[in-house]
Amino acid sequence: MSKTTQAPKALRGVGNFIDDRFHLAKTGEKNLRKVFPNHWSFMLGEIALYSFIILLLSGVFLTLWFKPSMMEIVYDGSYERLQGVPMSEAFASTLHIDFDVRGGFLMRQIHHWAALIFVASLVVHMLRVFFTGAFRKPREINWLIGVAIFTLAMVEGLFGYSLPDDLPSGMGVRILQGVMLALPLVGSYVSMFLFGGEFPGEDIITRLYMLHVLLIPAILLGLIVAHFMILWHQKHTQYPGQGRTDKKVVGTPMFPAFAVKAGGFFFFTFAVIAGLSAFVQINPIHLFGPFTPTSITSGLQPDWYMGFMEGSLRIFPNTLDFTIPIGAGYPVMTAVLVPGLVVPGLIFGALGAWPFIEQWITGDKRAHNVADRPRNAPVRTGLGVAGIVFYGVLWLAGSNDILSETFSIDLYLTTYIFRVLAIAGPVVGYVVTKRICLGLQRRDRETLEHGYESGVIQQLPSGEFIEVHKENSAETTHVLESKPVITSTALEEPETDDKGVENPAARKGMGRLRRALAHWYTKDNVSFDGVEAHSGHHLHHGAEHQDH
Amino acid sequence: MKWITARRRHPLAGYVVVILALALFGVGFAALAPTSDEARAQTLSAEVPDPEDVDVANGKAIFDQTCASCHNYDGSGMYAEDDEGDLVVTNGPDLREVGSAALDFQVSTGRMPSMDPDSQMPRKPMAISEQDLVDLIAYYDEEIRTDGRGADIPFDVPGDAPQAADFEDEASYEAALEEYEGEYDAYIEGADDVDMGMKLYLTNCAHCHSWSGGGGALTDGRWAPEIHDSTPREIYEAMVSGPGAMPMFSDGVITPEEKQELISYVKTLQAEPNAGGIFDLERVGQVAEGFIGWTVGLSLIIACAIWITAKQRAHD
Repeated sequence: MSKTTQAPKALRGVGNFIDDRFHLAKTGEKNLRKVFPNHWSFMLGEIALYSFIILLLSGVFLTLWFKPSMMEIVYDGSYERLQGVPMSEAFASTLHIDFDVRGGFLMRQIHHWAALIFVASLVVHMLRVFFTGAFRKPREINWLIGVAIFTLAMVEGLFGYSLPDDLPSGMGVRILQGVMLALPLVGSYVSMFLFGGEFPGEDIITRLYMLHVLLIPAILLGLIVAHFMILWHQKHTQYPGQGRTDKKVVGTPMFPAFAVKAGGFFFFTFAVIAGLSAFVQINPIHLFGPFTPTSITSGLQPDWYMGFMEGSLRIFPNTLDFTIPIGAGYPVMTAVLVPGLVVPGLIFGALGAWPFIEQWITGDKRAHNVADRPRNAPVRTGLGVAGIVFYGVLWLAGSNDILSETFSIDLYLTTYIFRVLAIAGPVVGYVVTKRICLGLQRRDRETLEHGYESGVIQQLPSGEFIEVHKENSAETTHVLESKPVITSTALEEPETDDKGVENPAARKGMGRLRRALAHWYTKDNVSFDGVEAHSGHHLHHGAEHQDH
Repeated sequence: MKWITARRRHPLAGYVVVILALALFGVGFAALAPTSDEARAQTLSAEVPDPEDVDVANGKAIFDQTCASCHNYDGSGMYAEDDEGDLVVTNGPDLREVGSAALDFQVSTGRMPSMDPDSQMPRKPMAISEQDLVDLIAYYDEEIRTDGRGADIPFDVPGDAPQAADFEDEASYEAALEEYEGEYDAYIEGADDVDMGMKLYLTNCAHCHSWSGGGGALTDGRWAPEIHDSTPREIYEAMVSGPGAMPMFSDGVITPEEKQELISYVKTLQAEPNAGGIFDLERVGQVAEGFIGWTVGLSLIIACAIWITAKQRAHD
């Protein structure tokens, strides 16, 4: 923007009219010039936003014809194979969307593929935020909102999956009811309340429909708007680099450059979803056929984002159920209760609590606007990978019958393998990741001291061969030097004061726990103390060359 | 060559080489691997055999050579007592009451003769010729079968389609094929109560063979096979004989008319085009959809994010 040009007179007129009344020019100018840091991993959340917009639009299209009714009718639409088959109005109207509404089949597939991409992008976005420490103060509230969006998105997806009343829908609802029934005391009441009687009853589709198109999307939309307003207010985090500090953002202004990129990215997201929908068949309800309570089939799973719940149900041992001997006996179904409610509760509870736990351990109350490089927070990165491994093992276990058939492994053997992996995998993942992080830190220190390997081999007069190292760019040097030192206030307080009296905070249980955790969180770290950039030997080759 | 020389150190060159190598192996494998069409090429549509064409002595020779080592010369099987005094099968079970449908099913789908009595046999090309099978069945019916017990071969249900290689000239092949297709259509389309077929299939079959007939995993390392290659007659024979872990659905439990509806449901569903797109993901369902959603869908979008943020202009 080197020279200022006058806007056309007509535009100026309209602009002045609005500005005289709302005084928007100043706010508009400020917000349009707002700067966004540039990195591909900062675009992951946008994928979620765009697929949510696609979900809203395609969902509205589908509601124009979908009938959320369980009234039984005999199908006589244009899909010949199922003519004369009794089915619910919900299933029949979905067939109507597929085969009688112009573009209906494509729109249904767009809606379904967009849902899969939406939740997947939520996951990768969340992982990016976690591993870069972007959830730290001042962004804890936004992190909690994100966790809520993720949870609601899963429920929203499950309910949407249940609406067409096809074979997998009914099976999914049946599992949902099973988990409800396992709730101690209130289980059967909750189930009777939701279904309006026994399974499947005549109300469930209508009720899930209301939740799926009205209540949950409204909450989701509200949370997403809040997520963005907070982001806008607090500004985006950025990776370390020259000129980037906790007080200064470097990036692309909102208008025009970032807006153009983001707009283009929306169309690309849409293109991928539409391309999948046009060529790859998803959830073919016309092939599945309608649900009846007597029907059951192998090889069907929930959509991927419910896979970890399915997996935890499949691998949890069934020998821990017990009966409370009151009256006729009161059975507690731990084999459903624990995997169906406790496991997801733990996963999402840990996600929500982590920013506060980390803050409690380190005592770090500063605001952070520069993101961490994952290697520079080895314990956090290790824990994140442990979480991914745990989730991933459960997720794989959810498809154990498909894996068993595809790779010719004994089905029971897969269960035992996944049980072991669900416990051992996260531990191994944590240890390996932490070691990799420390190794990368060591390499960073070496690069900082010696520069980078240039790939040029030089022969010295003495006959020795050496590789020439070159100086890092100023940017690289800055990034490497900006490695934060992980400390905790818990360890700064001495255990005893100068009169030999024990620190009261360190004596109590919580205080001791905090000190132990702080020690564990900070102990392994490659120190950059006293390291000066390019002070290593490789840069100044002389006769006294030393080996490293 | 200059074009390659100039680009061989390109950052993407390694990936290109890997992709080309994978494509080469893939195409090569697809070209050389036997296809399912070839695998089931030899059998003829078997009709009730004319007694004059049957050679029982040949059937006995085949039985003694290929079956008796496990099932014994009189078809009584081989059993031993275990620790608790119960009889357990050591090599092969007693065949005297299984019926000719079971024999036709096991041999025509290549599952018998089996190399290893302890493991489940996959579907394979038949090991003996069509005429040998007819002789074998005749020998079984005359000498081994007790009082005609077990189910007979359902000759009115269409079997394998005729293959061109078995005919001397084009005209006779086409005539046979036309006759077969007429029979097949009459059998499949004669049953048009989709609701009954669907309910029977989803109540009795789908929990092992899956909704699509693609098969599925069973306990103890066994599996329910895919039934797409099965002829209507083989499906019928499997129901009345209950091979392997499959329960038996005799004509008293599911009547022949119901079996016709059921078989028609399976075959019609299998022939149904995939209205949702040319890639049907083998009708595996949600696991395949999730896999594609991540590996193709999300990966492409993220690749685009990397692409549009890679190039930065200094002044914006």
